[in-house]
Amino acid sequence: MECGCRSKSDNNFVGVLPCFRKEIFLMTMAEVAEALKAEVLVEGEGYKKDVRHVVASDLMSDVLLLDEEDMLLLTSLAGDQVLRTAQIVGAAGVIVVNGKPLPSSMVYVADTLRMTLATCRLSKYEACIAVNAALHSKK
Amino acid sequence: MSAPAPSSVLLEPKSIAGSGVGNDPLVLLELIQRLKVRDVMTTELATVPRSAPLCDVQELMRRKKISGVPVEEDGRFFGLVSIDDIIRALGGGYINDPCSKHMTTKLVVLEDDMPISFALRYFNRYHYGRFPVLNRDRRLVGIICQRDINRVLLVELSKELNRLEMASGKSLDQDGVSELYLMREFTVCKYDFENAGKAANEIKRLLQDRQLPPKLIRRIAVAAYELEINLCVHSDGGMLSCQIAKGKAEVVARDAGPGIEDVEWACRDGTSTANEWIRSLGFGAGMGLVNVKRVADEFEVKSKKGSGTTVRAAFTVTGAA
Amino acid sequence: MKLRDIIDACGLEPVLVPDAEAEVSSAYTSDLLSDVVAHCTEKSVLITVQNHKNTVAVCTLVGAPAILIAHRREIPADMQEAAAREGVALLHTSDSQFAASCKVGSVLGIDPR
Repeated sequence: MECGCRSKSDNNFVGVLPCFRKEIFLMTMAEVAEALKAEVLVEGEGYKKDVRHVVASDLMSDVLLLDEEDMLLLTSLAGDQVLRTAQIVGAAGVIVVNGKPLPSSMVYVADTLRMTLATCRLSKYEACIAVNAALHSKK
Repeated sequence: MSAPAPSSVLLEPKSIAGSGVGNDPLVLLELIQRLKVRDVMTTELATVPRSAPLCDVQELMRRKKISGVPVEEDGRFFGLVSIDDIIRALGGGYINDPCSKHMTTKLVVLEDDMPISFALRYFNRYHYGRFPVLNRDRRLVGIICQRDINRVLLVELSKELNRLEMASGKSLDQDGVSELYLMREFTVCKYDFENAGKAANEIKRLLQDRQLPPKLIRRIAVAAYELEINLCVHSDGGMLSCQIAKGKAEVVARDAGPGIEDVEWACRDGTSTANEWIRSLGFGAGMGLVNVKRVADEFEVKSKKGSGTTVRAAFTVTGAA
Repeated sequence: MKLRDIIDACGLEPVLVPDAEAEVSSAYTSDLLSDVVAHCTEKSVLITVQNHKNTVAVCTLVGAPAILIAHRREIPADMQEAAAREGVALLHTSDSQFAASCKVGSVLGIDPR
């Protein structure tokens, strides 16, 4: 995992940030969920798979523009479209942040699409930091 | 290609509910995904109110030759009286009690818009003879048993086979399969956000079943998804189709209006006519057509203000199984 | 922490900074404006890709002094005008929302519980 810093133009993180090193880190969806103290609602196909990229976005049209495989999608959007988008791009799983109550259809759609779905109480900002911290403590 | 006997398939629902890697005929896999519980379930229900005595329920079962009766009042579902409950009541001597006292209330239910693949999985998992079916408003709308699925599958299978044979223009026994891999068409309704994306999800799954290269599948799926969302957001409703034949995959979105005034403008980055509500759903950033163009090998938009729009995205298929 | 310190430490690209001495205590990452209104606390940097003038209005509402636009998404003129009027800083980064959040987080030193 390239610490999410995939932007081609700018990989020069400033020195004061010890948490950004270009090393390969891998974590499974299950481990990410545990690190975020997330409640896993559906264990889909990607649950035991390594997450290779983290995407923190609420715009599904943006997510569709990415080419990464096995992404973890952190979003504050709670709706079926999140899961449908995740299936299309072959995401490893979806975690809805902010402890948002999910519409009941989401669990059913996730189950049908065999997509891992979890919720966590952290904000997206906090969740990003927690995932990153967990990646680096794992070594 | 001979029609598989659905009953034998139903004895092993696991092989259906899996990822379709086995030798299950694809036609069948597609069918059990496409057909919904509501297409199969029995809607003419014999129900009883909570106050009905168990002996009345027993009489109803005998008369209608059924083995389970839902307890329901004005569409609200309270529980189910099964033949086991009746047998216990006869043994325990409380056959005259109201059914609300002894009905089964811990129930597994299905929703009417679930695919029947899901229902089959449930039959396999729970070993119940039947499931009550509720709609999104949690009202009782039907009841489903395995026999219902068998019946409808048989009918649909023969229809599907006919259609496939007609479409390929010759018997599938010969070279037909390599000529026409796949042809699917989906209706997309305006502002039907609940269902938007379903067609693309299904197209992706079908392509995975055909074991096309994963990167190609993703490109086709992205195009299908973007076009489906476009139909849902911008058109008055239309059709999304996916066809694979002769080394080429084609996704086509066709609608009857309202048409795009300036096609060139619409295909540019970040241009959008979507409203705030659509944006709040995570769409409408104005990248839809750009993204289709990005992933496709061939891309074409035909439109006229006031009439329909047709968008065609084509992909070269290599290494198809 | 001052906004200036975050800009320097994270290597952010200032597009418009009316007050580099503005106090920043947290950050909030979201592309849903309704979400920002509901949850973003004051003195936060908003990390987003919503390059729209309404984003500025929302920041004024919740008292967020700066907007960090991820993926170096283009900032339209009317958004810049609105930001200048409201005194909200506009910053650019080529990072994704995830990478930007991690960087800002490590500078602000917030313990994610």
